[in-house]
Amino acid sequence: MVWLSHEEWVVLGLSARVAICCAAAVAIPGIACGWLLARTRFPGKTLVDAILHAPLVMPPVVTGYLLLVVLGRRGIVGEALYSHFGISLAFTWLAAVVASAVMAFPLMIRSVRIAIEMADPKLEAAAQCLGASPLRTFLTITLPLARPGIITGLVLAFARSLGEFGATIIFAGNIQGETRTLPLAVYSFMQSPGSDASAFRLVLISILLSLGALVVSEFMSRRLTRFERMAG
Amino acid sequence: MLQLTSQLTRGTFTFQVDCRLSEPVTGIIGASGSGKTTLLHMVAGLITPAAGRIVLNNVVLFDSESGVSVPPHRRRLGLVFQDCRLFPHLSVADNLSFGKRLLPPREQRFSLNEVVELLELEPFLRYRPAQLSGGQAQRVAVGRALLASPRMLLLDEPLASLDWRLKQQIMPFLRRVRDVTQIPMLYVSHDSKEVLDLTDRVVVLDGGRVVGAGPVVDIIQDPRVWRQLRLQGLVNILPLTVVSHDRNESLTHLRTRPLATETDRSPADVSGPFLDALAGKEIHAMLRPEDIALAGSKLTGVSIQNQIHGRVVRLIHTPDRDVCVVDIGIPLMVELSPSGVRELGLATGNPVWCLFKSSALQYLESSPR
Repeated sequence: MVWLSHEEWVVLGLSARVAICCAAAVAIPGIACGWLLARTRFPGKTLVDAILHAPLVMPPVVTGYLLLVVLGRRGIVGEALYSHFGISLAFTWLAAVVASAVMAFPLMIRSVRIAIEMADPKLEAAAQCLGASPLRTFLTITLPLARPGIITGLVLAFARSLGEFGATIIFAGNIQGETRTLPLAVYSFMQSPGSDASAFRLVLISILLSLGALVVSEFMSRRLTRFERMAG
Repeated sequence: MLQLTSQLTRGTFTFQVDCRLSEPVTGIIGASGSGKTTLLHMVAGLITPAAGRIVLNNVVLFDSESGVSVPPHRRRLGLVFQDCRLFPHLSVADNLSFGKRLLPPREQRFSLNEVVELLELEPFLRYRPAQLSGGQAQRVAVGRALLASPRMLLLDEPLASLDWRLKQQIMPFLRRVRDVTQIPMLYVSHDSKEVLDLTDRVVVLDGGRVVGAGPVVDIIQDPRVWRQLRLQGLVNILPLTVVSHDRNESLTHLRTRPLATETDRSPADVSGPFLDALAGKEIHAMLRPEDIALAGSKLTGVSIQNQIHGRVVRLIHTPDRDVCVVDIGIPLMVELSPSGVRELGLATGNPVWCLFKSSALQYLESSPR
C-alpha cells in the first residue's frame, strides 16, 4: 500500500481511530440498552425504542444539526461542558466519534437485542437454581450466549463509522487531519481537480472494508444460530 | 423436612396445596396440568405463590405474611429440568462445575471426580452438550445439580423425553444417587412406574390440589388417588436378588429383598424370564397388579410358575376394581373384581396364594452391571 500519498494515509489513520473509538463507545451502552429492550418491560418502552432508533431513519444531516444544537459550544449541554470543564466537542475528532457513535448506536442495540432475545431465559433460570446471582448469570450465561450478536453489533458500528458522512460534516466539520474521515476525504478529492486518482483509491479501500465487515458480521450471526440450535 | 402451603391462580388454573414432606424421597404424581411442575418451581423459587409459606428444614424460603422470599440462587436446591438445560457454550466438565465453583470449598459436598464416577460421565467431560444423547445429557444435568451441593434435589420429569429403553438405563443411576448421596429428593413424574421405582411415598396431585399423600398402599382407597394412579400406570416394583438360572427352562430364579415396611415373613422366591446376570446381583422388576391372580389354596396341574404364599394385609375398594395388598415379604398389590373378592371370601389376615406367570415379571435394568 505504498502507493498511498501521505495525505491519504492521514485520512485512513484518522478514520480507523474514529471507527475504533466509535465501536468502543457504543459497546457498553449498547449492551445495556439491548438488554433493557430485550428483557424488561417498563412504561414508555415503545417511545424509548423509537428515540434510540431515530438516527437510523432521520436524515443524518438532521442528526448532525441536533448534535450541534445540544453539544455545540452554545448548545444546552455543550455550553455547560465548556464553562465547567473547558471542553469544546464540536469540530474536533471526538465530535466525529460522537456523531458516528450516535448514528451507529441503533445498529448496535438491534443486534444485541436480537441476540439476547435468542438466549434462552430457561438457561438463565437453570443458572440461578445452581446458585448464580442475577449479575453472575448475566455475565456467565447471557453475555456468552449473546456474544456473536455483540460482535456483529460492534462490527456494524465500526463499519457505520467508517462510512458516516452527514452527521459528521455538520457536527465535526471537514478539517484535514482532524475530522476528515474516509467519506469526507472522497468528497473533498472529488471536488478538487486532479485528485480523481486519490478519490478512486479511497473508494476502493472503502469498498473492501465494508465487504470485510459484512463477511465478519455474517459469520458471527451464523455462529449465533448454531448456539441456538445447540441450546434447543 | 419440607413444609409447603401455597396458593396461586393463573387464568382458570387454581393451585392450592398444603403438604408436609418428611421422607427422604417423595414422588409427586399427577397428570399433566395437575400442578406438579408448579409445585416444584415454587419450592425452587422460580414461581412465586400469591400467598403461602415454604419452609425447608426450619429455614423459611417463602412467607407471604412476613414478606420473606429467598431468591432462587440462595435456596440451594438442585432443580433438574425435563429439558436438561445444559449450557450450550460450556463443555460438559464446565457445566458440571458451574454451581460448584460458586461455593466456598468447605460447603462443597462432592468432588467433581466423585460425581463423574457415580454417574459414569468420564468419557464425555470434553464434549459439548450438543454432542450428548438425551440420556447422557440428563445424567450430566443430574451431576451438575449434585455438584451445587443442594439441600434437596428437585427432579422435574427428568426421564419424560426419553424412550423406555433409555429410561431403564438411567433409573439405576437415580437409585444410586438416592442411596449414595443421601440428599432428599422430590421426584415429579406423570409416570407412576418411575416414581414407585424410587419410593413408595407419594403426593398425588389433581387439578392443582393434593388428593392424597403418604405410602401408596395407604392412600390408594381414595377414589381420586386411585383414578390418578391408574391413569398414570400403577405397578408393583419388586426389589429382587438373582439366585440361580435354569437355562433349560429359560428361567431365572430370584428372591425378594425386604423393604423398610414391617413384615414378619421371610423373603419369597419367584421365577422370571431368563436374565443375563450373576447370582447375587440386585435388580428391580415390575409386576402389574392386573397380572396377578389370587387363590385360596395351592393349585396343582397348572403351568403358572409362580405360586407365592402370602397374607392379605389390606383390602381396598375403589370405584371400579378392588385392590388387595398381600404381604409376601414385600407388599404386593393385586387387582381383582369385587365378585372375585366375594368368591374367595377374602378378608384381612387370610392366607392366600398369589399366581403369576414368569413372563409377567418385567426387569427394570436393561444393562446388568
